[in-house]
Amino acid sequence: MPNRKASRNAYYFFVQEKIPELRRRGLPVARVADAIPYCSADWAKPVFTPLRRPGMLVPKQNVSPPDMSTLSLKGDQALLGGIFYFLNIFSHGELPPHCEQRFLPCEIGCVKYSLQEGIMADFHSFINPGKIPRGFRFHCQAASDSSHKIPISNFERGHNQATVLQNLYRFIHPNPGNWPPIYCKSDDRTRVNWCLKHMAKASEIRQDLQLLTVEDLVVGIYQQKFLKEPSKTWIRSLLDVAMWDYSSNTRCKWHEENDILFCALAVCKKIAYCISNSLATLFGIQLTEAHVPLQDYEASNSVTPKMVVLDAGRYQKLRVGSSGFSHFNSSNQEQRSNTPIGDYPSRAKISGQNSSVRGRGITRLLESISNSSSNIHKFANCDTSLSPYMSQKDGYKSFSSLS
Amino acid sequence: MSGRARVKARGIARSPSATEVGRTQASPLPRSVDLSNNEASSSNGFLGTSRISTNDIYGISSGDAGSTFMERGVKNKQDFMDLSICTREKLAHVRNCKTGSSGIPVKLVTNLFNLDFPQDWQLYQYHVTYIPDLASRRLRIALLYSHSELSNKAKAFDGAILFLSQKLEEKVTELSSETQRGETIKMTITLKRELPSSSPVCIQVFNIIFRKILKKLSMYQIGRNFYNPSEPMEIPQHKLSLWPGFAISVSYFERKLLFSADVSYKVLRNETVLEFMTALCQRTGLSCFTQMCEKQLIGLIVLTRYNNRTYSIDDIDWSVKPTHTFQKRDGTEITYVDYYKQQYDITVSDLNQPMLVSLLKRKRNDNSEARLAHLIPELCFLTGLTGQATSDFQLMKAVAEKTRLSPSGRQQRLARLVDDIQRNTNARFELETWGLHFGSQISLTGRIVPSEKILMQDHICQPVSAADWSKDIRTCKILNAQSLNTWLILCSDRTEHVAESFLNCLRRVAGSMGFNVDYPKIIKVQENPAAFVRAIQQYVDPDIQLVMCILPSNQKTYYDSIKKYLSSDCPVPSQCVLARTLNKQGMMMSIATKIAMQMTCKLGGELWAVEIPLKSLMVVGIDVCKDALSKDVMVVGCVASVNPGITRWFSRCILQRTMTDVADCLKVFMTGALNKWYKYNHDLPARIIVYRAGVGDGQLKTLIEYEVPQLLSSVAESSSNTSLRLSVIVVRKKCMPRFFTEMNCTVQNPPLGTVVDSEATRNEWYDFYLISQVACRGTVSPTYYNVIYDDNGLKPDHMQRLTFKLCHLYYNWPGIVSVPAPCQYAHKLTFLVAQSIHKEPSLELANHLFYL
Repeated sequence: MPNRKASRNAYYFFVQEKIPELRRRGLPVARVADAIPYCSADWAKPVFTPLRRPGMLVPKQNVSPPDMSTLSLKGDQALLGGIFYFLNIFSHGELPPHCEQRFLPCEIGCVKYSLQEGIMADFHSFINPGKIPRGFRFHCQAASDSSHKIPISNFERGHNQATVLQNLYRFIHPNPGNWPPIYCKSDDRTRVNWCLKHMAKASEIRQDLQLLTVEDLVVGIYQQKFLKEPSKTWIRSLLDVAMWDYSSNTRCKWHEENDILFCALAVCKKIAYCISNSLATLFGIQLTEAHVPLQDYEASNSVTPKMVVLDAGRYQKLRVGSSGFSHFNSSNQEQRSNTPIGDYPSRAKISGQNSSVRGRGITRLLESISNSSSNIHKFANCDTSLSPYMSQKDGYKSFSSLS
Repeated sequence: MSGRARVKARGIARSPSATEVGRTQASPLPRSVDLSNNEASSSNGFLGTSRISTNDIYGISSGDAGSTFMERGVKNKQDFMDLSICTREKLAHVRNCKTGSSGIPVKLVTNLFNLDFPQDWQLYQYHVTYIPDLASRRLRIALLYSHSELSNKAKAFDGAILFLSQKLEEKVTELSSETQRGETIKMTITLKRELPSSSPVCIQVFNIIFRKILKKLSMYQIGRNFYNPSEPMEIPQHKLSLWPGFAISVSYFERKLLFSADVSYKVLRNETVLEFMTALCQRTGLSCFTQMCEKQLIGLIVLTRYNNRTYSIDDIDWSVKPTHTFQKRDGTEITYVDYYKQQYDITVSDLNQPMLVSLLKRKRNDNSEARLAHLIPELCFLTGLTGQATSDFQLMKAVAEKTRLSPSGRQQRLARLVDDIQRNTNARFELETWGLHFGSQISLTGRIVPSEKILMQDHICQPVSAADWSKDIRTCKILNAQSLNTWLILCSDRTEHVAESFLNCLRRVAGSMGFNVDYPKIIKVQENPAAFVRAIQQYVDPDIQLVMCILPSNQKTYYDSIKKYLSSDCPVPSQCVLARTLNKQGMMMSIATKIAMQMTCKLGGELWAVEIPLKSLMVVGIDVCKDALSKDVMVVGCVASVNPGITRWFSRCILQRTMTDVADCLKVFMTGALNKWYKYNHDLPARIIVYRAGVGDGQLKTLIEYEVPQLLSSVAESSSNTSLRLSVIVVRKKCMPRFFTEMNCTVQNPPLGTVVDSEATRNEWYDFYLISQVACRGTVSPTYYNVIYDDNGLKPDHMQRLTFKLCHLYYNWPGIVSVPAPCQYAHKLTFLVAQSIHKEPSLELANHLFYL
């Protein structure tokens, strides 16, 4: 005999609630069973009865876009000044579901950000992952090796989990009052959430942080400003770019030194860069070094000795009938002259002050120019020709002004 | 992937058989830890096996033959799932005859053998129940086998299902026996089914029978194959030994049941883990010994010779010693030393060694805690080759010399196996009790399809050998090339002079090809990935057509970061070359030619064509692969031709989050490809032929029910009024049959273009084998094609020849490749995305072969 009570599922109560309305419509419904045929269609679509207020029944995993009004961000100004925290925690892989310990937190990164100010502060720390569950050393090692490469044992930089958590709390909540919401990418949310809970357990500090997703934040900002919703694909492509991967002052010191791309701090900073680059500009904010790593791009305009443009084509034109070419002499020509290079035109010997002239090195050009004080103003001229988006023609012109 | 690896990959595309010795599962050269790990998991991955492996620790032996049935049952089901799918009966034009007729007939020998049995042969399936119920499978088997009714019958039993070749007298038989403890157990054997010899279950039982037979020939099962430890081939200079063995299977081919066998090798190192540890300790000293040891050993696969099983080392437990005790399953405590003495009569000599920990695979749907096995380093032998070993050219050469069997060598090994089976009395007895008879080797007639002419710009060239026509086209101009005017070369200080001489060479060869290359802007950068990426960010503007990077080392990050940035963030075709490649002075011309060809393709050029008689035909290649970083992401690569000459391609790669190898996104891709076709040709194609690679065992049904409808619906939507006809062909590079031609009393590899569409094919499918690659050394492996859907109604002859023609169109190799070009392109694309980019490449590049 089946348990009759078991039939009282959600649908039963839904139908029961509907009965008065159906009666009002004049339908002959005496019992729940009679009403079922009329309710099936309604069941399929979400109903906003007073009970189902948005936000009340929304499942936790599927975080709704943060309601900007609750953040008390009224108008652009408030939005621009609003402070967000981006957080990420790396783990030594993910252990299978039957394990009690799913993640082994090993690195944490967090930045304080506002659209107006850019990155205002950052927090980074390595975490001591604790004892690796017996038998999973290979699994964890392999996961680490394929991403952040943080050693799973004998890594003296790792801090105690309780201390790290305390420091994090101090970072995001220095003064008493409301705790700010924290954001991370939706793909990382499970891991970050789990790690926060795990670390809290270890440290016996109870503070439930509200962890929201960056994707929803972007939707929120966009909606606030333009009153329409951007597509998820657009947001994903906005957040997932490789262009800041190697930017200076993005990764933590250890990852920078070891030249490893995967860094918890870098993930947070890159979120900030992406949002600055695409959204802050829409608000008409002048990007500063705190918004995107501008210094890399400014630095690039002044030519460093190690990075020089050699334009062979330009040189070809220049060579013909250029008497001032002897400036291009190099000190290291001896070692280079014996490399067989086929019929390359520049191999041709050019008579001048130095008989064995070879090469089109602008390094040498620059060296020779900077050595000769009389050419200083021309060097400046040359400099502009080396700026990245200069057309070939312009480059040629400025070059010819040298001779 | 590094530039060097790319060069390697190109080489493999040319003739996989040269490097691949056995079957995949049995690959004797596990290249890396990952691969060998697969092997271990495959040996531990099944229901019965994992139980047995724990038994080794817990002290219950499980050696009886009856246990073989369930052992492989789980995996087998997947293999046999495909058998119940009949696609051919739905294809009217091949229902009566699926064989072609054109081409020169050629006599071929195969690695397939007849398996004869009486006409009325049947298998009887019984169900056995025990009262009271017994949990131990071993006990169940022992009790049943002790009965005289069954003792002299051929049987296979897994503890619940019993197969017999002869019917029992009664439909329900009741037996009873007494256990050692004096309990009386009642057994009821009930007849469930009578199976004809063609039933898939029968084929499963046949496979079990042959596994038993190989065991009787004192071969051991490792993974899915059988190896013979008693005849190892030693490579003493590298401390390696190879166990020869076979991959076998029994299945229904065109008309009858056949047994197939292929040679395979297992590479073992003649060094125990303990010896390895001792040597390491002497080298490194005690201070950082444990650390080094963990670094070097964890993740390797070991083999314990006492039971010939493989385990992966997941951890090392420094606190446990062989003198410590553990609890056996019956609750008694025993030391490891005593256990090995009792169980295997092995004396452990070093009592202070730590223990290796291996995580045993859990049963399916079992959420219990992970089980660990402790292993004694002294008894564990290292298997496979480390990355360090695979990069050792001498070592790999020595291994290849032993494993790369010529067709005649292979034939001899097969003949010996057959001889052994027929001579060994135990093996023969087993066969006879089942009523089977091992027959002769199958020979069949294949056909050699005519060779193809290569169409160049103003020249039609008939290559001397279709395997490599680089010499034949040296003086010809390629079909179409965009001239390269604004481009960049990035190199480091050290590589500057190589870059210059290379550039010079490149311009010369490109000129003779009809590809105009102007001087680039050369940018010198520091030798680190960040400098390369920054320089690219700085100097790449919308006018730049191509970026060439001369990489100082084959460190993966260089390639990955450059490709990642230039294929999605800032879509510009890129060409990475290793400085070391350019340093090979003698080969400069051929290297430059290859790179010039690649660059042409990356700019949207076309190199050559073959004559395609069908007008308005679109060919599509689909391949899938798992992302290297996040294992739950599938990379689906789709490539479609967009002109009737099949020289221009539309390529798209889609990432999907699923655990299965089935593509979700084909509709999106097909719609895009058809739009592209319409844009270029102002009409829709009349026919579409899809080649789908990357299909595993047991996926045929999903393919037919899930992927084909996606393709059909996109086709139907795009062409509401015109009729657009679709065919779907599954391409498999790995298949059991091998073919040899007999010539001058010796066997050789069959010539290029050999087609086999009888006997070795399956009756219920429209399938054929095509040999479209050359193996300089070793045995060539055919590519298997299975047409699962076909509206086009092309004659089998035409389908085969079209497939052969398409094998000529892979622009990364001036010769024929083992699979149709669209498949190879799709493979290349998925590989790039899965290894380096990890996200969808920009659609702006979709019209170029940017991934070559």
